[in-house]
Amino acid sequence: MMIELKNIEKYYANKGVKSYILRHVTTSIKQGEFVSIMGPSGAGKSTLLNILGMLEEPTYGEYHFMGEDITAMNERKRIELYRNHIGFVFQAYHLIDEMTVAENIEAPLLYKKIPGAERKSRIADVLDRFNMVAKKDLFPNQLSGGQQQLVGIARALVAQPSIILADEPTGNLQSAQAEQIMDLFKKLNKEENITILQVTHSEKNALYGNRMLTIEDGVVKEDVQIK
Amino acid sequence: MFKLNLKIAFRNLWKNKGFSLINIGGLAIGIASCMILLLYVAYEFGYDKQFKNYNTTYVAYTNMKANGKTFSWAWTPGLLAPELKDKYANVANAARLSYPFEQMISHNEQKLKDRAIFADPSFLKILDYKFLKGNSNGLLQNINTVILTKTLAKNLFHDENPIGKTVKLDHSEALTVEAVIDDLPENSSIKFSYIMPWKLYEKREKWIQEQGWGSNFCLTLVQLHNGSLDQLNDSLKGLYQRNQKNLTNELFLHPLSKWHLYNEFENGKLVGGKIGQLKIFLLLAICILLIACVNFMNLSTARSEKRAKEVGVRKAIGSNRKSLIGQFILESTLLTFIGTIVAFILVEISLPYFNNLLDINLVIQYQDWRYWTILLGLVLFTGLIAGSYPAFYLSSFEPIKVLKGFSIKSGSSFSIRKILVVFQFVFAACLIVCTAVIYQQLNYIKNKPIGYNKGNLIQMVVQGNLKSQKKLELLKERLLKSGAAKNVSLLSMNIDEGGNNTSDVSWLGKRTDDKILFNQRGIGYDFVETIGSEMVAGREFSIKFPSDSDKVIFNEAAIKAMGLKNPLGTIIDFGGRRAVIIGVMKDFVSESPYQKVAPMVFYSSYNNSGGVVMIRLNETNNLSNSLSQIDQIVKEINPDYPVDRRFVSDSFEEKFQDEKLLGTLSNWFGGFAIFISSLGLLGLALFMAEQRKKEISIRKVLGASTANILTLLNKDFIKLVAISNVIAFPLAYIIVNKWLSGYEYKISISFLPFLIAIGLSVLVAVLTVSLQSIKVAKANPVDALKYE
Repeated sequence: MMIELKNIEKYYANKGVKSYILRHVTTSIKQGEFVSIMGPSGAGKSTLLNILGMLEEPTYGEYHFMGEDITAMNERKRIELYRNHIGFVFQAYHLIDEMTVAENIEAPLLYKKIPGAERKSRIADVLDRFNMVAKKDLFPNQLSGGQQQLVGIARALVAQPSIILADEPTGNLQSAQAEQIMDLFKKLNKEENITILQVTHSEKNALYGNRMLTIEDGVVKEDVQIK
Repeated sequence: MFKLNLKIAFRNLWKNKGFSLINIGGLAIGIASCMILLLYVAYEFGYDKQFKNYNTTYVAYTNMKANGKTFSWAWTPGLLAPELKDKYANVANAARLSYPFEQMISHNEQKLKDRAIFADPSFLKILDYKFLKGNSNGLLQNINTVILTKTLAKNLFHDENPIGKTVKLDHSEALTVEAVIDDLPENSSIKFSYIMPWKLYEKREKWIQEQGWGSNFCLTLVQLHNGSLDQLNDSLKGLYQRNQKNLTNELFLHPLSKWHLYNEFENGKLVGGKIGQLKIFLLLAICILLIACVNFMNLSTARSEKRAKEVGVRKAIGSNRKSLIGQFILESTLLTFIGTIVAFILVEISLPYFNNLLDINLVIQYQDWRYWTILLGLVLFTGLIAGSYPAFYLSSFEPIKVLKGFSIKSGSSFSIRKILVVFQFVFAACLIVCTAVIYQQLNYIKNKPIGYNKGNLIQMVVQGNLKSQKKLELLKERLLKSGAAKNVSLLSMNIDEGGNNTSDVSWLGKRTDDKILFNQRGIGYDFVETIGSEMVAGREFSIKFPSDSDKVIFNEAAIKAMGLKNPLGTIIDFGGRRAVIIGVMKDFVSESPYQKVAPMVFYSSYNNSGGVVMIRLNETNNLSNSLSQIDQIVKEINPDYPVDRRFVSDSFEEKFQDEKLLGTLSNWFGGFAIFISSLGLLGLALFMAEQRKKEISIRKVLGASTANILTLLNKDFIKLVAISNVIAFPLAYIIVNKWLSGYEYKISISFLPFLIAIGLSVLVAVLTVSLQSIKVAKANPVDALKYE
């Protein structure tokens, strides 16, 4: 089992009044799944994704990632685990404006302390795969949205994660570009067995995956397998 | 990682040129100010420390009781050095030397007046001067020898080898050049261009042989074997009395390394000296650097909204906090480094100006590793301090929050920035007040009447032919006749100089325990008339009364100290001779203009061996004509010597050197501090404008005018500046009060400096803030609201 959540709760206390974001979320995700998290705005989808991605901590509950208890782990170990296994893709791409395409892709490798030669070959590899070799020295603001998101995905992939967490990856894109991105995800999932978890509003995008998790008011309402 | 971060840092700098400019500019000015001040402090601290044995070398001081006070001087009897060397086991070497004075030295047609000293042979053992030519052994033993410094040797002999050649002292003594030493460092207390043997001094000045233990006329340098100074100082107590019973003087040793900086004694106890001023400068250096750092912090955090996203992304792709902190520190160090390079250029450009202003010779010691170490330390320190707050602040952002859309809490972080700005302005306001008070005090002292008219008054050294009475009389006659001079008189030493005093004066009714120290001066005829002073009672020496050799004149301060009701005609005992008081002269300032005038006694003298001719210029004549006329007449009468004359007003001005220096430095660096502070304020304004963009837009949509918004934005800052001033005022008051307490004549502290401080700081603040916020206030509100 790759991910196991037990009774995850998240709330903010404000003047003694608790406002819940997530309640009693218990689920598990296996290696190689392509899960879409769906639900209305404010349901807690993104918070769940962030908790899974270790960017946020649950107020209560247990989270096991590849058999290790995340909630009890110290920060250094958690970052280590995170660097090696998790890739994030954002709706607003979140590339670093001051870095070129190649540098943006290189950044996670630097944090993983991967030696220079290997870095170069991996970046070349990824650029090649995404057909972006010609654009490697451009800065993010010189690219279209779809291209930026491709770089975002390339950046997530280059560290060879076991799971990619994507928060509405196509939310800012036109439909043609969105399809391209979704196809890419599907291909990664099928051919390289990378686990993918995406938050999405769109039923169409959800159908690219093989499992659908619907959240409403912080509670898991539905959990369906897609054939 | 490092390389990439460096690249990013450069790109960031380039992208935000305005920000980088303000940042680097602020840092550069801060670092440059700090560097200049530190150079100056190092220069002062380095005084007399060039010698190998400076740590075991001491200067003999004599404590003298007079006028109810104890005076401490580095003057000692000539008998002291041999006594110390012979009778005290802990004394390794002891040397006498004369105080430096200008003497004529010549080689063939080359005639130069330069500073000379006479010294015992052991002087060269105590202070290891660098020998360039000649044998360094057995020097100063033979009576007719001399040691030259490099520059003097070059001026006298050009490219010839001077060793073994003969030079003439004062056109009389033929001396063989034995050695050439390197020029003395600027920051050494003992300054001279050539040294001659003490024996020669004794031969030339016959009176030296007759002096006892009560006559203090030379400097004694002592070098000790290791051992406690206190112990030796204890055993030195009573040394004078052991040799001559009736003396009350006390001897003590003062370290050579402290001679320059710790030179003020009160009642025989060390109370400080120049070190006080130096500490102020050191503090100023650190504070200016801190202000520049604070500035940097403010400006960096002001951009936090922009940087926050980067922090979030970096964290989301696996960066930990440590490497983020590292990145921000790297950026600030890089900025500091660039700032330092700019600072270097600034320092190199401004050093000649400061050297000229302070009359010293500061240079950047490029070949000295210590300099580079300190500089590197300074860069790292500044980078660390300046980068610390932004680094810790920015790296603490939670990635999800900043990625979702950033909103800075108006709580803690903002108030820290406010505190920083308040700190800057407290410092700036303090400096404004201090500078204003220093200027007021300086002006007050400068404009205080000194008892004589120093304008158009010349003093000319008596030398060569002029030493003969006849020639002097001829000179006076010709000067008066030419119309260049209105009055001519004599004085036994420079009018603006202290020293040469006696307590050997007694009168009827003098209490036996009363010891009054009188400055004694020989004066010529028409002295009072010449210097533009006046007699309070009686008359001055005049050609109409030729038999004045047993008459004296006192100044008012002396009469007051002696307690004489009817001084005229009183008979006194003066140096063992009977003398009659014939006049009371108005007090005039000869030593420090900051202190009360000391008692003074004048006797009639027309053939004194030293001294100066005082010349009152004829104001109806053209100044340059008069001067060239005087020069011509003097040249004719005294052809062997260059004309050595100075305006008294110029010499007098030198008394204000310390205060002028303090005033100028605090003025400049105060200005810099305010400038850098206003840059910091600009940062805060930028930050705030960015933060309140939405609020301002909404207000504008609701109908606020540009003026309304400017008032709104300025209000907060004026509050900050006002708080700073409130904190600064008591602080400045304490500092200024302490500084003024060192002066006997001082201004009372007025409201004016404080008004200037608050006025200036508020003005600067309003200008800076408005300059920035007017852009926001005038912007189209839709632009800001669109992104919501």
